[in-house]
Amino acid sequence: MPVAISVDAQDVSEKLRRKRGYTFLFLSDPKAEVIRRYQLLHLGGGPEGTDIARPAEFLIDRSGTVRWENFTEDIRVRPRADKLLAAARSIR
Amino acid sequence: MADTTIRERTLAPWLGLLLTVLGLSSNALPFTRFPEAPVPWISILVSLTGFLVVLFGLWRSFGQSTAYKGKLLSAVAAGFSLLFLAGSIAFFWSARHIPPESAAAPQVGQQVPDFTLPDTTGHPVSLAQLFSVSVLNRPPKAVLLIFYRGYW
Repeated sequence: MPVAISVDAQDVSEKLRRKRGYTFLFLSDPKAEVIRRYQLLHLGGGPEGTDIARPAEFLIDRSGTVRWENFTEDIRVRPRADKLLAAARSIR
Repeated sequence: MADTTIRERTLAPWLGLLLTVLGLSSNALPFTRFPEAPVPWISILVSLTGFLVVLFGLWRSFGQSTAYKGKLLSAVAAGFSLLFLAGSIAFFWSARHIPPESAAAPQVGQQVPDFTLPDTTGHPVSLAQLFSVSVLNRPPKAVLLIFYRGYW
Protein backbone atom coordinates (compact mmCIF):
# COMPACT_ATOMS: atom_id res chain seq x y z
CA MET A 1 0.00 0.00 0.00
CA PRO A 2 1.77 3.18 -1.13
CA VAL A 3 1.71 6.42 0.85
CA ALA A 4 3.32 9.61 -0.46
CA ILE A 5 4.81 12.18 1.94
CA SER A 6 6.20 15.65 1.21
CA VAL A 7 6.21 19.19 2.60
CA ASP A 8 3.47 20.15 0.12
CA ALA A 9 0.27 21.54 1.62
CA GLN A 10 -2.86 19.40 1.49
CA ASP A 11 -4.40 21.26 -1.45
CA VAL A 12 -1.18 21.08 -3.49
CA SER A 13 -0.91 17.33 -2.88
CA GLU A 14 -4.57 16.79 -3.71
CA LYS A 15 -4.13 18.64 -7.01
CA LEU A 16 -1.15 16.42 -7.90
CA ARG A 17 -2.99 13.28 -6.80
CA ARG A 18 -5.99 14.09 -8.95
CA LYS A 19 -3.96 15.21 -11.93
CA ARG A 20 -2.06 11.90 -12.02
CA GLY A 21 -5.08 9.83 -11.10
CA TYR A 22 -3.38 8.24 -8.10
CA THR A 23 -5.70 6.53 -5.62
CA PHE A 24 -3.27 6.22 -2.71
CA LEU A 25 -2.85 8.54 0.26
CA PHE A 26 -0.86 11.77 0.12
CA LEU A 27 0.25 13.03 3.54
CA SER A 28 1.41 16.57 4.31
CA ASP A 29 4.47 17.30 6.42
CA PRO A 30 4.75 21.10 5.96
CA LYS A 31 7.28 21.63 8.78
CA ALA A 32 9.30 18.57 7.66
CA GLU A 33 8.96 17.09 11.16
CA VAL A 34 8.51 13.49 10.03
CA ILE A 35 11.06 14.06 7.29
CA ARG A 36 13.54 15.03 9.98
CA ARG A 37 12.58 12.05 12.11
CA TYR A 38 13.46 9.81 9.16
CA GLN A 39 16.72 11.70 8.58
CA LEU A 40 15.67 12.66 5.06
CA LEU A 41 15.95 16.43 5.32
CA HIS A 42 17.34 18.31 2.35
CA LEU A 43 18.16 21.66 3.95
CA GLY A 44 17.35 24.47 1.53
CA GLY A 45 16.76 21.97 -1.27
CA GLY A 46 13.47 23.42 -2.40
CA PRO A 47 12.70 26.55 -4.41
CA GLU A 48 13.62 29.74 -2.53
CA GLY A 49 15.71 27.68 -0.15
CA THR A 50 12.90 25.87 1.65
CA ASP A 51 13.61 22.66 3.54
CA ILE A 52 12.23 19.60 1.80
CA ALA A 53 12.65 15.82 1.79
CA ARG A 54 15.35 14.19 -0.31
CA PRO A 55 13.67 11.48 -2.39
CA ALA A 56 13.54 8.05 -0.73
CA GLU A 57 11.21 5.06 -0.54
CA PHE A 58 10.81 2.52 2.26
CA LEU A 59 8.88 -0.75 2.22
CA ILE A 60 7.71 -1.32 5.83
CA ASP A 61 6.18 -4.53 7.16
CA ARG A 62 3.61 -4.83 9.98
CA SER A 63 6.30 -4.88 12.65
CA GLY A 64 7.59 -1.50 11.43
CA THR A 65 10.74 -3.00 9.97
CA VAL A 66 12.29 -1.77 6.73
CA ARG A 67 12.32 -4.59 4.14
CA TRP A 68 13.43 -2.59 1.10
CA GLU A 69 14.50 0.97 0.53
CA ASN A 70 15.72 3.26 -2.19
CA PHE A 71 17.60 6.55 -1.87
CA THR A 72 17.47 8.46 -5.12
CA GLU A 73 20.83 10.11 -5.78
CA ASP A 74 19.91 11.35 -9.25
CA ILE A 75 16.31 12.37 -9.86
CA ARG A 76 16.62 11.09 -13.40
CA VAL A 77 17.35 7.53 -12.31
CA ARG A 78 14.33 5.61 -10.99
CA PRO A 79 14.35 2.54 -8.71
CA ARG A 80 13.88 -0.83 -10.37
CA ALA A 81 10.39 -2.21 -9.85
CA ASP A 82 11.55 -5.83 -9.89
CA LYS A 83 13.65 -5.45 -6.73
CA LEU A 84 10.77 -3.74 -4.93
CA LEU A 85 8.33 -6.47 -6.01
CA ALA A 86 10.71 -9.23 -4.92
CA ALA A 87 11.00 -7.64 -1.48
CA ALA A 88 7.23 -7.20 -1.24
CA ARG A 89 6.60 -10.84 -2.17
CA SER A 90 9.04 -12.06 0.45
CA ILE A 91 7.01 -10.50 3.26
CA ARG A 92 4.79 -12.98 5.08
CA MET B 1 34.50 40.98 -67.89
CA ALA B 2 32.59 41.33 -64.60
CA ASP B 3 32.33 38.36 -62.33
CA THR B 4 28.77 37.19 -62.78
CA THR B 5 29.00 34.24 -60.41
CA ILE B 6 25.78 33.98 -58.49
CA ARG B 7 26.52 33.19 -54.89
CA GLU B 8 24.29 30.63 -53.21
CA ARG B 9 22.76 30.90 -49.84
CA THR B 10 23.85 28.25 -47.46
CA LEU B 11 21.20 26.80 -45.20
CA ALA B 12 23.81 25.15 -43.04
CA PRO B 13 23.87 27.73 -40.21
CA TRP B 14 20.09 27.58 -39.82
CA LEU B 15 19.97 23.80 -40.03
CA GLY B 16 22.69 23.72 -37.42
CA LEU B 17 20.79 26.11 -35.17
CA LEU B 18 17.66 23.99 -35.52
CA LEU B 19 19.57 20.84 -34.60
CA THR B 20 21.11 22.52 -31.57
CA VAL B 21 17.73 23.67 -30.31
CA LEU B 22 16.22 20.25 -31.05
CA GLY B 23 19.01 18.49 -29.26
CA LEU B 24 18.77 20.62 -26.18
CA SER B 25 14.98 20.57 -25.95
CA SER B 26 14.95 16.81 -26.39
CA ASN B 27 16.65 16.57 -23.03
CA ALA B 28 13.25 16.04 -21.49
CA LEU B 29 12.73 12.87 -23.52
CA PRO B 30 15.50 10.80 -21.93
CA PHE B 31 14.20 11.85 -18.56
CA THR B 32 10.72 10.51 -19.19
CA ARG B 33 11.38 7.64 -21.59
CA PHE B 34 14.72 6.31 -20.48
CA PRO B 35 14.73 7.03 -16.75
CA GLU B 36 17.70 4.83 -16.02
CA ALA B 37 20.10 6.82 -18.21
CA PRO B 38 21.37 9.83 -16.26
CA VAL B 39 23.39 11.22 -19.18
CA PRO B 40 21.24 12.37 -22.14
CA TRP B 41 23.56 11.03 -24.82
CA ILE B 42 21.07 11.43 -27.65
CA SER B 43 20.46 15.12 -26.97
CA ILE B 44 24.16 15.78 -26.58
CA LEU B 45 24.90 14.05 -29.88
CA VAL B 46 22.19 15.95 -31.75
CA SER B 47 23.31 19.28 -30.27
CA LEU B 48 26.94 18.62 -31.11
CA THR B 49 26.02 17.68 -34.66
CA GLY B 50 24.01 20.88 -34.88
CA PHE B 51 26.96 22.89 -33.69
CA LEU B 52 29.26 21.26 -36.24
CA VAL B 53 26.76 22.04 -39.01
CA VAL B 54 26.73 25.67 -37.85
CA LEU B 55 30.53 25.75 -38.02
CA PHE B 56 30.35 24.27 -41.49
CA GLY B 57 27.92 27.02 -42.49
CA LEU B 58 30.28 29.63 -41.09
CA TRP B 59 33.13 28.15 -43.10
CA ARG B 60 31.05 28.29 -46.26
CA SER B 61 29.97 31.89 -45.75
CA PHE B 62 33.34 33.22 -44.68
CA GLY B 63 35.85 30.80 -46.11
CA GLN B 64 34.11 30.28 -49.42
CA SER B 65 32.57 33.71 -49.76
CA THR B 66 32.96 33.68 -53.51
CA ALA B 67 30.55 30.75 -53.72
CA TYR B 68 28.32 31.48 -50.73
CA LYS B 69 26.77 34.60 -49.33
CA GLY B 70 25.13 35.30 -45.99
CA LYS B 71 28.03 36.18 -43.70
CA LEU B 72 25.87 38.24 -41.37
CA LEU B 73 23.06 35.71 -41.19
CA SER B 74 25.36 32.78 -40.57
CA ALA B 75 27.14 34.76 -37.86
CA VAL B 76 23.77 35.48 -36.25
CA ALA B 77 22.78 31.81 -36.43
CA ALA B 78 26.12 30.79 -34.93
CA GLY B 79 25.72 33.32 -32.16
CA PHE B 80 22.27 32.05 -31.25
CA SER B 81 23.27 28.40 -31.23
CA LEU B 82 26.22 29.21 -29.00
CA LEU B 83 23.90 31.09 -26.66
CA PHE B 84 21.52 28.11 -26.58
CA LEU B 85 24.35 25.72 -25.86
CA ALA B 86 25.79 27.82 -23.05
CA GLY B 87 22.41 28.54 -21.52
CA SER B 88 21.32 24.90 -21.53
CA ILE B 89 24.57 23.66 -20.03
CA ALA B 90 24.22 26.23 -17.25
CA PHE B 91 20.58 25.31 -16.67
CA PHE B 92 21.08 21.56 -16.53
CA TRP B 93 24.16 21.92 -14.37
CA SER B 94 22.33 24.03 -11.79
CA ALA B 95 19.22 21.81 -11.89
CA ARG B 96 21.06 18.68 -10.82
CA HIS B 97 19.56 18.61 -7.32
CA ILE B 98 22.16 16.38 -5.71
CA PRO B 99 20.55 15.33 -2.42
CA PRO B 100 22.52 15.30 0.83
CA GLU B 101 23.84 12.15 2.53
CA SER B 102 21.24 10.32 4.62
CA ALA B 103 23.49 7.94 6.49
CA ALA B 104 21.30 8.06 9.59
CA ALA B 105 18.07 7.22 7.74
CA PRO B 106 16.43 3.89 8.57
CA GLN B 107 18.27 0.96 6.96
CA VAL B 108 16.90 -2.43 5.91
CA GLY B 109 16.23 -4.44 9.06
CA GLN B 110 15.73 -1.38 11.27
CA GLN B 111 12.51 -0.13 12.83
CA VAL B 112 11.03 3.08 11.53
CA PRO B 113 9.61 5.80 13.76
CA ASP B 114 5.83 6.09 13.97
CA PHE B 115 4.16 9.30 12.82
CA THR B 116 0.76 10.97 12.38
CA LEU B 117 0.22 13.31 9.45
CA PRO B 118 -2.87 14.77 7.77
CA ASP B 119 -4.01 13.42 4.41
CA THR B 120 -5.39 15.67 1.67
CA THR B 121 -8.80 15.82 3.34
CA GLY B 122 -7.26 16.98 6.61
CA HIS B 123 -7.84 13.61 8.28
CA PRO B 124 -4.89 12.59 10.55
CA VAL B 125 -3.31 9.26 9.55
CA SER B 126 -0.76 7.28 11.56
CA LEU B 127 1.62 4.59 10.34
CA ALA B 128 -0.06 2.05 12.64
CA GLN B 129 -3.47 2.95 11.18
CA LEU B 130 -2.25 2.28 7.65
CA PHE B 131 -1.82 -1.38 8.56
CA SER B 132 -5.41 -1.68 9.78
CA VAL B 133 -6.94 -0.30 6.59
CA SER B 134 -8.70 -2.93 4.49
CA VAL B 135 -7.33 -3.38 0.96
CA LEU B 136 -9.14 -6.06 -1.06
CA ASN B 137 -10.74 -7.39 2.17
CA ARG B 138 -7.37 -7.74 3.89
CA PRO B 139 -5.07 -5.43 5.80
CA PRO B 140 -1.86 -4.69 3.85
CA LYS B 141 1.24 -6.82 4.51
CA ALA B 142 3.40 -3.81 3.84
CA VAL B 143 3.30 -0.07 3.41
CA LEU B 144 5.46 1.74 0.88
CA LEU B 145 6.46 5.18 2.17
CA ILE B 146 7.33 7.47 -0.72
CA PHE B 147 9.11 10.62 0.41
CA TYR B 148 9.27 13.07 -2.45
CA ARG B 149 10.60 16.59 -2.97
CA GLY B 150 7.22 18.20 -3.55
CA TYR B 151 6.45 21.52 -5.29
CA TRP B 152 5.03 19.84 -8.38
